[in-house]
Amino acid sequence: MADLATLLGELERLVQECATQLGQASSSEELEAVRVEHLGRKGRMAGAMSALPSLGPEDKPVAGRKANEVKARLTAMLEARQTELDRAAEAEKLASFDPTLPGRTPPVGSLHPVTLVTREICDVFAGLGFDVVDGPEVENDWYNFEALNMPPDHPARDMQDTLYVTDSIVLRTHTSPLQVRSMLAQKPPVAVVAPGKVYRRDSDLTHTPMFHQIEGLLVDRKVSMADLRGTLTAFVRRIFGPETNVRFRPSFFPFTEPSAEVDISCVMCGGTGHIHGETCRVCKQTGWVEILGCGMVDPNVYGFVDYDPELYTGFAFGLGVERVAMLKYGIGDLRMFFENDVRFLSQFS
Amino acid sequence: MLLSVDWMREFVPYDGTVEALADRLTMIGNEVEEIIDPFAQLTDVVIGRVVSCGKHPEADKLSVCTVDVGDETLNIVCGAPNVAAGQTVPVAKIGARLPGGVTLKPAKLRGVRSEGMILSEREMELTDDHAGIMVLDGALTPGERFVDALKLERCVLDVGVTPNRADCLSTLGLARDAAVAFGLPLTSPTACVQESGPDCRDMVRIEIPEPEYCPLYMLRVLQNVSIAKSPEWMRMRLLAVGVRPINNIVDVTNYILMEMGQPLHSFDKNLLEGGVIRVQRAQDGQEFTTLDGQRRKLVDSDLLIWDGAKAVALAGVMGGENTEINADSTDVLLECAVFRPASIRKTARRLALPSEASYRYERGVDQVGSRVALDRAVQLMAELSGGLVCKGVAENEPRPWAQPVIPFRRARCNDLLGLDLDADFCKKTFTLMGCEVDDADADRWSVRAPSHRLDLEREVDLIEEAGRVYGLDRIPADLPSISKSLEAVHHKGEFFFANKLKDWARGVGLNEAVNYSFVAPADLDRLGLPQEERIAIANPLSEDQAVLRTNVLAGLLGSLRRNRAQGAVRLGLFETAHAYFSDPDSETKAREALRLGLLLHGPRHARGWPWPTEDADYLDIKGLVEHLLDYLKLDVAEFRLLEAHSFMSPAVSVVLGDDAIGCIGRIKPDIADFFLAQREVWAADLDGEALRRMFSASAITFEPLPTLPPVRRDVTLGCPSGVLSFEVAAALEKFGPAILESVDLVDVYAPQGESGERNLTFRLTYRHQTKTLKDKEVDKEQGKLLDTLTKALPVRFFPPES
Repeated sequence: MADLATLLGELERLVQECATQLGQASSSEELEAVRVEHLGRKGRMAGAMSALPSLGPEDKPVAGRKANEVKARLTAMLEARQTELDRAAEAEKLASFDPTLPGRTPPVGSLHPVTLVTREICDVFAGLGFDVVDGPEVENDWYNFEALNMPPDHPARDMQDTLYVTDSIVLRTHTSPLQVRSMLAQKPPVAVVAPGKVYRRDSDLTHTPMFHQIEGLLVDRKVSMADLRGTLTAFVRRIFGPETNVRFRPSFFPFTEPSAEVDISCVMCGGTGHIHGETCRVCKQTGWVEILGCGMVDPNVYGFVDYDPELYTGFAFGLGVERVAMLKYGIGDLRMFFENDVRFLSQFS
Repeated sequence: MLLSVDWMREFVPYDGTVEALADRLTMIGNEVEEIIDPFAQLTDVVIGRVVSCGKHPEADKLSVCTVDVGDETLNIVCGAPNVAAGQTVPVAKIGARLPGGVTLKPAKLRGVRSEGMILSEREMELTDDHAGIMVLDGALTPGERFVDALKLERCVLDVGVTPNRADCLSTLGLARDAAVAFGLPLTSPTACVQESGPDCRDMVRIEIPEPEYCPLYMLRVLQNVSIAKSPEWMRMRLLAVGVRPINNIVDVTNYILMEMGQPLHSFDKNLLEGGVIRVQRAQDGQEFTTLDGQRRKLVDSDLLIWDGAKAVALAGVMGGENTEINADSTDVLLECAVFRPASIRKTARRLALPSEASYRYERGVDQVGSRVALDRAVQLMAELSGGLVCKGVAENEPRPWAQPVIPFRRARCNDLLGLDLDADFCKKTFTLMGCEVDDADADRWSVRAPSHRLDLEREVDLIEEAGRVYGLDRIPADLPSISKSLEAVHHKGEFFFANKLKDWARGVGLNEAVNYSFVAPADLDRLGLPQEERIAIANPLSEDQAVLRTNVLAGLLGSLRRNRAQGAVRLGLFETAHAYFSDPDSETKAREALRLGLLLHGPRHARGWPWPTEDADYLDIKGLVEHLLDYLKLDVAEFRLLEAHSFMSPAVSVVLGDDAIGCIGRIKPDIADFFLAQREVWAADLDGEALRRMFSASAITFEPLPTLPPVRRDVTLGCPSGVLSFEVAAALEKFGPAILESVDLVDVYAPQGESGERNLTFRLTYRHQTKTLKDKEVDKEQGKLLDTLTKALPVRFFPPES
């Protein structure tokens, strides 16, 4: 007959020994081995309890209670040790974690500065109520010149060196044909802006044979030059900031009268004409840079689109996108726009 | 137009600064582009007097001079044949900056020290004269600066005159504008001709068979002239405004041209025959030698001046060599005429012979003022050459100038300008610029414009004048309220769709390129693109820009080459642009098609670790296209391998429904080599128009989310070489039961070295709309599906391992 006291003592010793082993266990695997050794089906706990049937009937409940208690204690000890080990493992992991490794960065694309500036400008005008329209780049002489009050052999044609496809078909030298096309397509009021590529037979430091323009046109009853001035002032201030000074200067375009050129205070030198004592290359020391041409639609143009010039007045303007982009981003060399060097392109994300 | 401020002051008493003048001229529409010092290169040159001049001991052609330059006397070795003691000469001392930018250093010439240099006109960059040193007026004081001693003009304004302001192409014209701008009185030039001898009208008769070509032709005669250099004041004044002095007759014609804007031409009268001058068009194919020695072939629209026997000048453009004023000329026939602008322009442009005269004629000259110009010219010629002016003016004026009468409504003016200009201001402005104003009807004035303002024809021209003089910069700023009719609500054009494409491309990490629309024909030939549809530029700047591109990739490949030359190792570029094709049915004989080009080169990922380092391949370019179609909510496209393509291999056509919407593939290696690729280049050329059309037809329609759970089954199919994954997937979808929701390829396994058979694993997702599917039902349906499939396609079905 087994002895209760021996059993109880053995259970107690189990706890002691388990505690010692747990202290030495340094991994989940070792911990599991300890658990199996003590609490497993063939473990020591089970081994000790194999004496239970031979205990006396009054000892059995005592031994049973003790066994449950010891089992609970062992389980708790195992769990505590597991938690301890988990914490240690987490701490070790963190100790070797390098938060500064490069991330799995998705590629960053970019839009061409011409696109960025075109959009920004068209957005300003769309906000003022203008529609964005487009038209062909290979254009008839009639739309590009004649209907814009530039008959053949008119000296004003010298203002733009033209690339010809045939005698009567040109690469459009400006976006102004869209004035004519828009007016032919609808009756007033007409409020459109037309961005696009234009072409001139000209190539040097400050000219490329292809560049981008945005044309604007508003024709309605009682449109005045004050409306033109207001519209363009609003535009210039939105693009270059409220501090930008604006100057309207009389000029000549065959399809507007009166005509004006709009200068803004040079954004490179702040209108002083000099940068660090050197002559400002952008404004050639004048403090002003020409940014666009504009004017009131010439009555002769209305003749070509069958509008009554007594009834309707309007304004038109045209600006060079690259020029605005150069000023806005501080790009010094026009030719970079079309070299497509990825080191240039990627700066305009 | 170069404006001498001193010269201008002869007509208007302007006493402000040059800068203020420049600013004001700019602000009334005559933009001053630059203020120039025309003699800047002579700043360091001083006046010297040759005290002694002796032979160089070692060299026959050199002289050794002592030259008094005011504070010292210099020893100068001079090679000029005309140097002599007593001359007053221009001298550059040691340390002076010579024209051309060199600084003069002390030198020894054949053993003799030289402490300066006596200058020729060519060395001073004045004229081409290098026959000897320049000899100056003996009254000048040694030591004085050359520019001060000769009272040279130091400020000349470079004025950008707009094409409408022909009147401003002269000193007088700009003086008129300055007078109006500053409210100063104008003193017009006058002439006082001392006539003598025979009457010019008895010597020459003027015939103008076609008056529309020549409204006015006048002649005067000078006799007994001595051709010589013009005096220094005349030469320097011409040099200041950029005109090369020639002789005392030709210089006067140029002087009057620059002063009054009237072109003149002087003939050697003794070389003319027949006592007649005829203004008549050339014969087709006729040849004529202009005074620059060039033999020119004419057409019948070119206007010539003829004497009784021959053509003697290309009217309004350039005189003839045969009757040019020369050193022996004694009698001068001076022409002052008005020609039809368009005719002169046509000839000057066709012959690429722009001259100061043609530039003014084609913009229009002052027919009334020309009489004063002619008189001033003969008067000056007589003064400078000692000649005698014959009596009278021979003239023929078949079309006298008709003064336009222009209506002006002040209310209209103020409406258009957004100003409130009063009647006094308007009247004063018009009067100051030479108009006669009849304001009897207060609402509608009648304004008569002066003969020099050919640009004033219509009311709006006067409105512009009022605004210009008042100051456009003083017009207030108002924002217009834009009212629109409903019909004017536009459909969204290409701009919007192109922007949508651009946004997508940027979003997937590509860089936008913008290339020229034109390329070299060779660039298209290299890609094997057809020649027939191309649009050529008739007058390209260079062969590189001679033809419009028919494929957007022609430009992108150029970008690749430039980037490779700069050492770029990875590129992901895109461009949205037009491709251009000739199209006889189009209004512009051109068809412009929106294209989207994509180009991948080098590593798939922009960054290194932890990304893997493989290069981009077919699945990258295809993936981009699939991503785009998905983004645009379009159907799944079919990718069909093309048997042949001129510049891609493999080349794969992208087909959506019935439309091929583009082509993707690898640039053939030999072509890629030209673009310095060294690695594979994958590209896509997509039809932006088709995408736009399909996109506008597609719409987002919401589908309710499924509420019942799906059942997913993976099946692996052994597919022999040649069976495409797309075919299998399509067949699965085609033969699948109604509950088959989707088919997705989840794995491809191609065992090495076997028959080329691939195992494709598809995930089949089944779902019923109204009930939860049971395994048995799915098993049954899938069994039937695989049965059908293996009969339809040569594929094997692997039962799942269990």
